[in-house]
Amino acid sequence: MRGNAGRENAFSRLHPAVLMTFFLSELLLTVFLPHPVLQAEALVGGLLFCLLLWGGEFLRELGFYLPLFVLVALTNPLFSHNGVTPLFFLNGNPVTWEALLYGIFLAVSVTGVLFWCKAYSRVMTSDKFLYLFGKVAPRLSLVLSVALRFLPAYLAQSKRVERAQKGVGLYAGESFTDRIKNRLRVFVAMVSWSTENAMEVSASMKGRGYGKKGRTNFSLFKFTSADGVFLALILSLTALTLCGAAAGMKNFAFYPRVSRVELSPVSFAACLSFGLQSLLPALWEGKERILWKYYVSKI
Amino acid sequence: MKKRCGVFILFLLIPAVTLGGTLLFPARQYAWISLCVALLSCLPFFLTFERGEGAPARLILLSSLTALSVLGRIVFTPLPGFKPVTATVVLVALTFGGEAGFLTGSLSALISNFWFGQGPWTPFQMFSWGMVGWLAGRLSFPLKKSRILLSLYGAFAGVLYSAVMDVWTVLWADGAFNLSRYGAALLSALSFTALYAVSNVIFLLALGKPVGGILERVKVKCGL
Repeated sequence: MRGNAGRENAFSRLHPAVLMTFFLSELLLTVFLPHPVLQAEALVGGLLFCLLLWGGEFLRELGFYLPLFVLVALTNPLFSHNGVTPLFFLNGNPVTWEALLYGIFLAVSVTGVLFWCKAYSRVMTSDKFLYLFGKVAPRLSLVLSVALRFLPAYLAQSKRVERAQKGVGLYAGESFTDRIKNRLRVFVAMVSWSTENAMEVSASMKGRGYGKKGRTNFSLFKFTSADGVFLALILSLTALTLCGAAAGMKNFAFYPRVSRVELSPVSFAACLSFGLQSLLPALWEGKERILWKYYVSKI
Repeated sequence: MKKRCGVFILFLLIPAVTLGGTLLFPARQYAWISLCVALLSCLPFFLTFERGEGAPARLILLSSLTALSVLGRIVFTPLPGFKPVTATVVLVALTFGGEAGFLTGSLSALISNFWFGQGPWTPFQMFSWGMVGWLAGRLSFPLKKSRILLSLYGAFAGVLYSAVMDVWTVLWADGAFNLSRYGAALLSALSFTALYAVSNVIFLLALGKPVGGILERVKVKCGL
């Protein structure tokens, strides 16, 4: 199981509500606490977790994130000339140390959020999302889940339509307009097929009593003690970070002068708890892998 | 009740988030504030939909049309910028009204990004595509009558989409809105904007008759 490419990971086996709480807390704190230490922690945590999720594949993707990082970091000093420490002049405009640092800060925060979004889409699959929101918004989640089921069916059917059209001699040439025309022909055929199909589905649903009272739902998610421990951890760490940020952390400013990172116990506690929270998924994943290796070694 | 909830979000929650965000966060996290606003602006539409009446046939048809516009985005992937999503959303709105248009547009953005990558831009795409659909539903009377107006609307929708997404690009990269950078972003995206506009017109003209006909027929046949 573990060696497969499409393997599940330990973290995504947690209860959807716990996962949602974690991602919401992590993303919101990253986004709304503009402090360089916290941003760096989020970036490192996200990077480590993505590495554990994807392995070597993710290393190759860093070839995309690294240029993005540099681009965001360097464009800020080129466009913003605030700050009191000029490094050099470009076309008569000062390029300042503060603007450069702020650019790097922005880049850290942007890439950190992107890493967590990437991990989110791998861990929070659409079935978990629908399980969470099915009770809050039943009509909307019905539309969403049915659309998500239709999509692969339509992709397969559109391939069939294309083959059939080729079979009756409707080839697509190499030219741009030809390719568009061919795809449009398939698309229009798909429109009529899919609306008919939708009507059949809805008739079948009506026949089976959709919308009648007393129907129950079934799902395979169980809230275990591990979920409880994890949820308690997330909530207490988030609370600690928030308290620390509210009580002690001064607003970190880049302009006109870069503030110093203060070393008061309160802000230290906030940084520590957020750092721990950001590392939680990677730690959890790592712990499970080591345990697995250990059990395998004993066989 | 449903009316009041939407009004509450539009006139109280959004200004509150904007004001609170600018006052509370010294580093001026405009990107995040605008993200919240984009999310909140989608909410009234979803709330009205959730509370509204509707046979299962309408719900399933909406999901089918959403899947269809996502299919369009995926099938046309080899031709960058050339996507029939906007055209499909507009045609849905012309036949089934603005609410259906908003829903198809925003859910298409949400679902197709499971393929193309979710990110902070998703709410913006949801909002812009949803708005394109909702507006088309509002203007359905003149748009149905004249193909010229329909093409104009397609071009306008392409420009609108590009302009909204560029606001996001600037806010995201800068953390603040910088007019000269917005101008630079608009200018550098000019070829894409033109491509969006032209492709929307082409798709609307090519699909308007056949797809509009199919949708009208279903509407009559199933009494929606």
